[in-house]
Amino acid sequence: MKHLILIVSLVFVPLPALAHKVIAGVFPAGDAIEGELGFSNGDMAVDQDVIVYGPDGTELGRTITDADGFFLYKPTNPVAHTFTADLGAGHVAKVIMPAEEVAEILGVAAEVEHAPDVVSPTDGTAIVTVASLSDEERQTIAQAVRDELRPLRREIAAYREKNDMQGILGGIGYIIGLFGIGFYIAARKKMSA
Amino acid sequence: MHIVDGALSNPVVIGGAIAAAGGIAVGLKSLDLDRIPTAGVLSASFFVASLIHVPIGPSSVHLILNGLAGLLLGWAAFPALFVGLLLQAVFFGFGGLTVLGVNTVNIALPAVLAWMIFGRMIGRGSPVQGAIWGGIGGAFSIAATTAFVALSLALSGDAFLPAAKLVFFAHIPVMVIEAVLTGFAVLLARRVKPELFLRGSPA
Repeated sequence: MKHLILIVSLVFVPLPALAHKVIAGVFPAGDAIEGELGFSNGDMAVDQDVIVYGPDGTELGRTITDADGFFLYKPTNPVAHTFTADLGAGHVAKVIMPAEEVAEILGVAAEVEHAPDVVSPTDGTAIVTVASLSDEERQTIAQAVRDELRPLRREIAAYREKNDMQGILGGIGYIIGLFGIGFYIAARKKMSA
Repeated sequence: MHIVDGALSNPVVIGGAIAAAGGIAVGLKSLDLDRIPTAGVLSASFFVASLIHVPIGPSSVHLILNGLAGLLLGWAAFPALFVGLLLQAVFFGFGGLTVLGVNTVNIALPAVLAWMIFGRMIGRGSPVQGAIWGGIGGAFSIAATTAFVALSLALSGDAFLPAAKLVFFAHIPVMVIEAVLTGFAVLLARRVKPELFLRGSPA
């Protein structure tokens, strides 16, 4: 009876799908680099210092996360940016944005500053008339798209951290297999002795 | 409880790996034919236990069950817990492969210490007495693990006391739960298979 209770209680122990891991990500956001920082159980890192390093290890700058664990950093050089944060108790986050992406951010930013390329409807062959957008409109749209994508990105990050039943069962299978091999070797030793 | 890649300095990582290799070697030597299944079962329990989260405040901690593994296995807890940690790192990304040695020592050494200190007491007296000692052993190994984690962080540059306090206080609920679990496991084992602990106690 005791065994049964033990087995039943173990079976019904809830297995939450979240691990206690650090999630960090960076993505281009207009002329800046936006990143998020937090734990995979949904806690975001608030007011966390983020230090930005260049490829040669020199400190490029620092930034601080907001209440939702997001931070913004404006790059000045098209080099690889390494974002690091020490969340304490052995939790360290490190993400790298490659030089090409940084260069792209800088390039786009420069272009926007210079001339908003207005599509002139002088060309008679144009079938679709593209409404020209002002700088502000473009920024607003970009901002809106980013805001829309943010929960999606977070969901994807959480999904990536998900421990599904297959992983758990696979791990247990490995353990049984490994100890089975150990058992086999030990048994052979005993038989030959 | 699992330290991640990049949080520790190189000497600590290398030292941990060497210590873990030593512990595993001793453990494998002590692992005779009869104890292999026990080691496998405890390795699997440890592997799954880390997925059981105990929510406390805004954060959560997970069970470790290293005390139970140590009390039942002695030095053989080293290989058993190492296998569990290796698979956790590969499957779930808990900890990391470079810090595997340090994590193994941090979790398995307290298990062996619990066995050295409390192993004898568990086999003696009534099953209930044994269970109480088992509970104390379970809580002790978690406390020792928090101290080891703080020590690894301290050797890599963090201040020892704040780190130790943070990890220790976060794990008080785990200690309580593990003490109860280990106590009941010992009680059950003493009732149905009392010889498990007589042989398992240090000579």
